[in-house]
Amino acid sequence: MQHLLDVSLFNTMIRMVAPILLAALGGAICSRVGLFNVGLEGFVLVGAFSAIVGNHLVGNAYIAVLIAVAVTVLFSLIFAYISIHLQANVIIVGISFNFLALGLTAFCLKAIFHVKGAFYDKNMVGLPKWDIPVIKDIPVLGGIVSGHSPLIYLAFVLVFVLQYFLFKSVLGFRLLAVGENPVAAKSIGIKVNGMQYLAVLICGVLCGLAGAQLSLGQVTMFTEGMTAGRGFIALVATMLGQANPLGVMASSLLFGLMDAFSIRLQGFSLPTHFTQMLPYVVTLLAMLFFRKSSYMADAQKANGSSR
Amino acid sequence: MLKGKASISAWLQPLLAILIGLIGGAIAILLIGGSVFDTYAQMWKGAFGNFYFFTNTLTRATPLLLVGLGVSIAFRAGFFNMGSEGQMILGAFTSALIALYFPGTPLFKLLAAMLGGILVGGLWSAFAGWLDARFRMNLIITTLLLNYIASLFAGYMVAYPLKDKTGSAALAQTMMVDKSVWLPKLFPGMSIHAGFIIAIVLAVALFLFIKYSSGGYEIRMLGYNPLFAAYGGVNRGRLMLYSMFASGGFAGLAGAVEVLGMQYRYTDGMVTNPGYAWSGIMATLLSGAHPLGTAVASVLLAALQTGGMGVERNTSIPLEISSVIQSLLILFITAKFGLGLWKRRKGGNSDAASS
Repeated sequence: MQHLLDVSLFNTMIRMVAPILLAALGGAICSRVGLFNVGLEGFVLVGAFSAIVGNHLVGNAYIAVLIAVAVTVLFSLIFAYISIHLQANVIIVGISFNFLALGLTAFCLKAIFHVKGAFYDKNMVGLPKWDIPVIKDIPVLGGIVSGHSPLIYLAFVLVFVLQYFLFKSVLGFRLLAVGENPVAAKSIGIKVNGMQYLAVLICGVLCGLAGAQLSLGQVTMFTEGMTAGRGFIALVATMLGQANPLGVMASSLLFGLMDAFSIRLQGFSLPTHFTQMLPYVVTLLAMLFFRKSSYMADAQKANGSSR
Repeated sequence: MLKGKASISAWLQPLLAILIGLIGGAIAILLIGGSVFDTYAQMWKGAFGNFYFFTNTLTRATPLLLVGLGVSIAFRAGFFNMGSEGQMILGAFTSALIALYFPGTPLFKLLAAMLGGILVGGLWSAFAGWLDARFRMNLIITTLLLNYIASLFAGYMVAYPLKDKTGSAALAQTMMVDKSVWLPKLFPGMSIHAGFIIAIVLAVALFLFIKYSSGGYEIRMLGYNPLFAAYGGVNRGRLMLYSMFASGGFAGLAGAVEVLGMQYRYTDGMVTNPGYAWSGIMATLLSGAHPLGTAVASVLLAALQTGGMGVERNTSIPLEISSVIQSLLILFITAKFGLGLWKRRKGGNSDAASS
């Protein structure tokens, strides 16, 4: 057990959690306006790919992040147009977006870089690691919290920004109202469609960041389907966190911890299947116990999902 | 489907979607400097060019069709079963185990393996249905979650306790099923096996069931208008369990058939890597959950995939052109469905809430 719990485990956890957290926050915003976004996986993948393309073209990791965000926002606009304007079923649009992202990125990988499977260039510089001045000298905490890429810090800052935005700002209240009861929101002059667009765009930004962290923050490369289900995990984290930014952070940390555990167990060549399985089981149990809370029902009200 | 105009447009929409998918694919091909005509010619050849390729396509269509049929039952009843992957995995895994370790004559083992696959896939799916009916846990999320649990569980079993240690390869897989239990091949030297016949027969049977039987009528009624169905005496919870069981059963059978007809063992990732289950769901979407349409759609999607391999063999265009076309096609279909079957459906009082 001593070999299992140490500073580097939690450091890994923070590192693993960032893409999931960012995407899950995006998912939370979407479910708050009654759109259940299954397409997170695709969004993140597009972000990851465009970040690498941006880095390859410009040679600057920060501009690459901006490019990733821009491209993902564009992608999410299409998603918003089809699901809000054309009123297609959000779930199905989400599924097909996952496929589109998978196919398109693999296709462009071949078209732009003329490689198959993965693109790696040793000249490419990823995001730097930032040390936080005072904290990095504190024994345990410093080893855990310090020395991450800027996007990781941004992710945790965004949790609180979004918490404030959703529950303390006027715009946030309007957003919640749309998810709560579209008709009532409309009757007091809130533009329901506009709010839904806004939510999907925010989700696009967050998923773009998530993708950039995935391809620039950890390894500086792109592999086909490198999200490897993280978008779906983020979706689950959204559910488990009741679409509440702080809750989403807590549930994402759980997933991150399990990821870190799995990596550690792999090092000991022990089976990782059950540690990987745990978050899903926990989520199922959580759904069983927290099912009273009404936001999911509201989401369904606004957009009949399973019934 | 209504007669006349409606049935024409029911055919027109998928055809239009295919056209748009092909145009989108053509743009992508042009962008990377390939020849559109040449690429599509190679794709056609790769999918239907000769008897070998043609049967290959049909073989690939088999699991898609079975999964798609299952999903279409759930869709018809108004439930989103996103758990086909997990159900197919457990079906494949179970049938491999039964075929390996059950006593009895080969024919008995073959039948038991298929039934076992159906049963386990169905129960796994009905479990999600039960969670929804009993605890109101959202079906989409539970089925998604159960996918991971199933896949990790089967992955563990073949990586540790049941791992094939005889071969030299270090793959996570079970031992090979004895040759006597294999599903027969339809033609010598071709990959197509009896599973395809099973799938086609089931497609026709399901079509007749949904169209003409009272059970099928109840399923359709529940899908179109849950409140009316309740008024008409349909027990939603019970029907949900049944339709989810059937839905998962088909996915389980898809797994069983893939093991007994193609792979002859359960290998970790044999379902997830080719994306059989998700392609099956796409086939259902493409056909508007019509059983016979699903058969056509799954052959089409399989042809795109095998054709894509042909493209990659003979041109500089990557295989992924197929996935681009495929997803564009589905995206267009969904936008269209906004006006039809997949439009927001729910109970009456919440209808008022959708503006």
